[in-house]
Amino acid sequence: MNTLTDRYLAATLRSVPTQRRDEIATELRASIEDMIEGHTDDGADPAAAERAVLTELGNPDVLAARYADRRLQLIGPTYYLVWLRLLKLLLSFIPALVGTIVAIVEAVEGKGFGAIGPGVVVALHVTVHIAFWLTLTFVIIERSQPTMDLPEWTVDQLPDAPVRRGIPLADTIASVIMLLLTIAYLPLQHYHSWVDGTDGENIPLLDPALWSFWLPALIVVLIASVIFELVKYRIGRWTWQLFGLKALLSLAFGLPLVWLALTDRLLNPALAERLGWLAEADNRDALGLAIALGTVAVVIWDLIDTARKTRQQTTA
Amino acid sequence: MVSEDVLRTHLQELRRGTVVVASLVALRRPDYGYALLQRLTDHGFPVDANTLYPLLRRLEDQGLLTSEWNTEESRPRKFYRTSDEGESMLSRLLADLAAVQTSLTGLIQGVDR
Repeated sequence: MNTLTDRYLAATLRSVPTQRRDEIATELRASIEDMIEGHTDDGADPAAAERAVLTELGNPDVLAARYADRRLQLIGPTYYLVWLRLLKLLLSFIPALVGTIVAIVEAVEGKGFGAIGPGVVVALHVTVHIAFWLTLTFVIIERSQPTMDLPEWTVDQLPDAPVRRGIPLADTIASVIMLLLTIAYLPLQHYHSWVDGTDGENIPLLDPALWSFWLPALIVVLIASVIFELVKYRIGRWTWQLFGLKALLSLAFGLPLVWLALTDRLLNPALAERLGWLAEADNRDALGLAIALGTVAVVIWDLIDTARKTRQQTTA
Repeated sequence: MVSEDVLRTHLQELRRGTVVVASLVALRRPDYGYALLQRLTDHGFPVDANTLYPLLRRLEDQGLLTSEWNTEESRPRKFYRTSDEGESMLSRLLADLAAVQTSLTGLIQGVDR
């Protein structure tokens, strides 16, 4: 005999604990037959009645879960938030850390840029492993009896309310990128300025003699500015101390530039041989003055703008 | 206009606990699954078969119902009856239900519309 009812019972009882299976089977079969009888008494066709009754009882797996008092969820509300927090915490640094270590090891072994690939692959593997094993652990905890005692939530766990950021992330990123590009440009123009000498060799825009001191000094100031931007973002708003530091950095970069421009030591003298216009001293002085004035204008405008922001954010 | 889905969800929430109370009351007179389902439905407690049958077993496991097999009729049927424990639990539940009704009445009267 293999009626729909038999199949339904078999499907339901499959996942019901063994020791009560026979009893549930007998009772459920009787109940189903009672229900079918109820339908046929109203004049329904027996086959149609059987279908209707089994449809009404619904998915046998759901019914079995109700008999067994089993949870129909991977991780329930009791543990979900703990699971989520741990997952975020672990994924926030472990894959990146392991990937970086692998990439460094590979790079040390002489793979150069080829070391990035294995680093990324390992980071992805670590991500999948963390997610899988953590979830599996919680699935087991969810199904274990008795329920685990989680520490009660207290008000002391409340995180600090986010301070209204006076320093938007986008601004910080833009500033850092500008600074890095400037740092990169200084050596780049030395090797590739797009101005060629008569023999086709490259003519740097800035005087190569400056590499003995001034250009390295300016690069140090620029690197300090990058660090300053990051610290500023971490603090989250302008303060007068930050304003002071910013002013110092601006002057440390601006003053040498102005002085070099005014004393005609900024540009490469070799340029004058290629660009006739620069050969005349008057023109060179005018260009130096323009660079100096431009620098002064940018620094002053920047400091005024910063002072305005600082006043707003310290009085608010 | 409240959507039908929202209404259905709230009605379900409201009715959920009453199935246990209704079953414990109804089973002061012993009965088997399907007959109980019919009686509850006739008395305005419509309940799904796939909810009621597992519920009866759970209440039995909790000691609130006792059961007995009746093999005299055409098919073997398991008759459930509210136990003494079930009876004392029931009186607590009924008292609480009455308290909810009282509180609600008081609240309705105290609020101007």
